[in-house]
Amino acid sequence: MNNVLYTIFVISISLLLGKLANYLLAALPASLYGMIIYALFLQLNWFSAQKVTKTNQWFIKHMGVCLVPAGMGIINHFDLIQQHGLALVIIIFSSTFILLTIIGYLSERFLITPDNHKTITNNIAQNNTKTGSK
Amino acid sequence: MLTTFIANSPILASIFITLITIATYQLAARCQQKWQYIWLNPMLISISILVPFLLLTEINYQQYSDNTQILNLLLEPAIVALGLPLYQQFKQIRFYWREMTAILVLGITVVIVVSFILAMWMIKAPEIAVALSLKSVTTPIGITLTEQLFGDSSITAFAILIAGLFGALLGPQWLSFIGINSAKAQGLAIGSASHVIGTAVLVRKSAEHGAYSSVALILSAVLTALISPWLIPLLQQLFN
Repeated sequence: MNNVLYTIFVISISLLLGKLANYLLAALPASLYGMIIYALFLQLNWFSAQKVTKTNQWFIKHMGVCLVPAGMGIINHFDLIQQHGLALVIIIFSSTFILLTIIGYLSERFLITPDNHKTITNNIAQNNTKTGSK
Repeated sequence: MLTTFIANSPILASIFITLITIATYQLAARCQQKWQYIWLNPMLISISILVPFLLLTEINYQQYSDNTQILNLLLEPAIVALGLPLYQQFKQIRFYWREMTAILVLGITVVIVVSFILAMWMIKAPEIAVALSLKSVTTPIGITLTEQLFGDSSITAFAILIAGLFGALLGPQWLSFIGINSAKAQGLAIGSASHVIGTAVLVRKSAEHGAYSSVALILSAVLTALISPWLIPLLQQLFN
């Protein structure tokens, strides 16, 4: 129970600071500033990540229900779907596949991660031993 | 009958409608947990149950949304709660965040421009174009960003859902087809294009797929939030 209150407290403080940041800087929505501030709090260890984890995961698991009212707005768009349904699907479909292809291709080609960093350094080490044995 | 109920006792009506929404969502979520089908998405199922319900009881959307205000208010703290996965990914990506950010920024910029231009060309409605160009992020953030940029957030919610399902169902096959097979590349591509729905499917392939996918999901949400407030007004000016 303590941890639940602790989590709610930390999230509220972050959201409050987010509102302040939104008021001063505009650009991002308050909740997104809040999200970044919350992550920074945990990173800087001002608040304990261990204490918030459980409650936080419960929030994330059930947050979907908060999105239902927004999605229900579709009820006002039946004419749009009738008129442009195919166009909507084509746009969503094609841009999703463009994004998949770009990100997939670029990260396969250019992204150096710890695992292929290891293989690269192993290769260098092997080459060194080879040249060394010559 | 329900409409007079709403007029007569607004507080009770609002509790009632909110409870119905929560109950429907819980039911749908249970169904997905039980059968594990991707298309059995809780939001999709709830909406397809609640829309006929509203039509039958003659509650209009304005009344429905007024009576579920509380759920809308909870969206803000829910987005803040996404800071925990963001923090957890900090540690994972600290070695290669530069390359990853560069790749994602490029991908996101291209997809916003392409969707916006296609939408303006085919549908010719700016608020729909904004909604469609923000469809490659996780739903709560997509909705918030769309509202900030005066787009139509219900279209965003649906577009995000459809993009998620496409990527989750066809994404892995498509990537293998074009010769992209590493867990790293598949995870990042599907996480950024199909967010949570795609990640839920990829986790079944391997834990490594899932890890990369959730990195891309959270990082691309932050990057879209940073890019879209100046890129989309620029595109809007182009079409004025």
